[in-house]
Amino acid sequence: MLRYLIQRLLLAIPVMLGVLLIGFLLMQVVPTDPATVRAGPSATAEVVAEIRRDLGLDQPLTTQFGLYLWRLAQGDLGVSIINNVPVVQELGATIGPTLELMLSSLVWSIPLGILLGTLGAYYRGSLIDRGVMAISVAGVSVPVFFLGLILIWFVGFKWQWLPFTGRGGPLWTLEGLQSIALPAITLGGVFVGPVARMTRTAVLDVLSADHVRTARAKGLSERLVVLRHALRNAMVPVVTLIGLQIGFLLGGAVVTETVFTWPGVGRLAVGAITSSDFPMAQGTIIVLSLGFIIVNLIVDMLYAALDPRMRAA
Amino acid sequence: MSATTAPVIIAPPRPGLLRRLTRDPAAAAALAFVVLVILAAIFAPLLAPTDPFDNDLSSAMKPPGSEGLPLGADAQGRDLITRLLYGMRMSLLMGFAAVILGGGIGAILGFLAAFYQRWLDAPIMRLVDIMLSFPAILFGLAIAAILGPGILAVVLALSVATVPLMARIVRGSALVVMRQDYIEAARATGMSDLRLIWRHLAPNCLSAIFVFATLRFGQVILLGSALSFLGLGAQPPIPELGAMASEGRTFLFFAPHIAVIPSVAIFLVVLAFNLLGDALRDALDPRLRV
Repeated sequence: MLRYLIQRLLLAIPVMLGVLLIGFLLMQVVPTDPATVRAGPSATAEVVAEIRRDLGLDQPLTTQFGLYLWRLAQGDLGVSIINNVPVVQELGATIGPTLELMLSSLVWSIPLGILLGTLGAYYRGSLIDRGVMAISVAGVSVPVFFLGLILIWFVGFKWQWLPFTGRGGPLWTLEGLQSIALPAITLGGVFVGPVARMTRTAVLDVLSADHVRTARAKGLSERLVVLRHALRNAMVPVVTLIGLQIGFLLGGAVVTETVFTWPGVGRLAVGAITSSDFPMAQGTIIVLSLGFIIVNLIVDMLYAALDPRMRAA
Repeated sequence: MSATTAPVIIAPPRPGLLRRLTRDPAAAAALAFVVLVILAAIFAPLLAPTDPFDNDLSSAMKPPGSEGLPLGADAQGRDLITRLLYGMRMSLLMGFAAVILGGGIGAILGFLAAFYQRWLDAPIMRLVDIMLSFPAILFGLAIAAILGPGILAVVLALSVATVPLMARIVRGSALVVMRQDYIEAARATGMSDLRLIWRHLAPNCLSAIFVFATLRFGQVILLGSALSFLGLGAQPPIPELGAMASEGRTFLFFAPHIAVIPSVAIFLVVLAFNLLGDALRDALDPRLRV
């Protein structure tokens, strides 16, 4: 397992460097000069030149990339062009809400998806199965923003049950829970379908395996057969496939944050890009990419932990 | 998702595909709907009652069913039937461009990896792995940041996100074909590599490519509309379904139909492509049916 994990880690390194290189190139093609921005509107030419030297902007590109990595390692991502706030500070404030939103979406959508998928596989070909398949294909076809707008219109506006803009507070307060409800239902809502579909396929695969036939033959109840013998073995492919869907979830999160003005990294990124705030855009893209790479590594580890064969390798 | 459950072996299409495809009523309805939507998009300029940029503020936000406006008007007083037709045209065009561009490059990479397995497979597949480690949304954000938001940025992002998926599908399918005797026989006749790939390898991978392209088309339209909704794609007043939904969002509480109509259109089109793609896969390779 160690060898496998090291392999995954080694693959992540060129990917991370690629992300940083793209971030660096982004700052090269932008029409604004970082030194002028940092110096402020009232700075003299000498001050700008000095900052230019400090930032290494007079050096060749390769040296600049090295300096860029060095600054990055110290947590310096520059300052926002729009409001002069350090990018790192804004990122620090938005990472938490994004994680909060993703986790509270997964916490209900994965169990529900696994339940629906198992039911579909168990009652294969029945009306229940057809219903599960219909939900899952609708789930991968509905635009996230549509689901969000419907919830806002009915639950937030017409019935006035729940708030639909911003974040009310931390998760452990009533306001926090109320404000995250609709975003979490929206984002989780588009995730139930894919999970159900993958679980159904995986369970169907396992149900036809020899050990399940043996379990049936020795007289175990169907419930035990499905829960203990089929579902458990189906979990390995399901976890892998859920891991592959994290990118889909991230895309959904960016849209969900925008629809509900949720103060997360995704909304920050979109705002920065549409307002040409290049340092901020760069920072958000780096953070989202690194976060995504880290989540993938965690999924790999989970995969290894679930499948004993991986531990021996 | 289709990438992971994708078929490795697919039999070439046989006559009677249409009949097998339409045996399932849902698939038949999906096919009919897709054909209808494509025709409507192509002939939008002929079908649309008005010009897509023609606005009449006196009919702004009129609800569906108003006189002369069966689907109502948007906030600028533009006829929503016209906007819907042109918006559909733009969304399909963006999806089509991305699937052709990204799918084309991906297919070439897949063929090369399978054909020159000894020295091209490893480098191409490492590249594919790296590209696969990024979700489409990140390509969308990064490319929109570099090029500035717009249709070109979205099409490029969707293409880049399609390349590695298509490459994997085509490589898997081509590797199976490469083991067939007729490839060896063709090679023995002294055929050039390029000709061999074009004449014998590619045609036998067509059904895999076709199934994936259909499924991908739906996903790409969904992603593209999301990027436009975020303001990273088509910019107003260009009619595009995602951008239209985004414009309508501002007036959600006064005139919900402005956002709902384009959203429902996206949902139905993507749903139809997904159902059609699934049905195509079942029809082209019954072995995959579970």
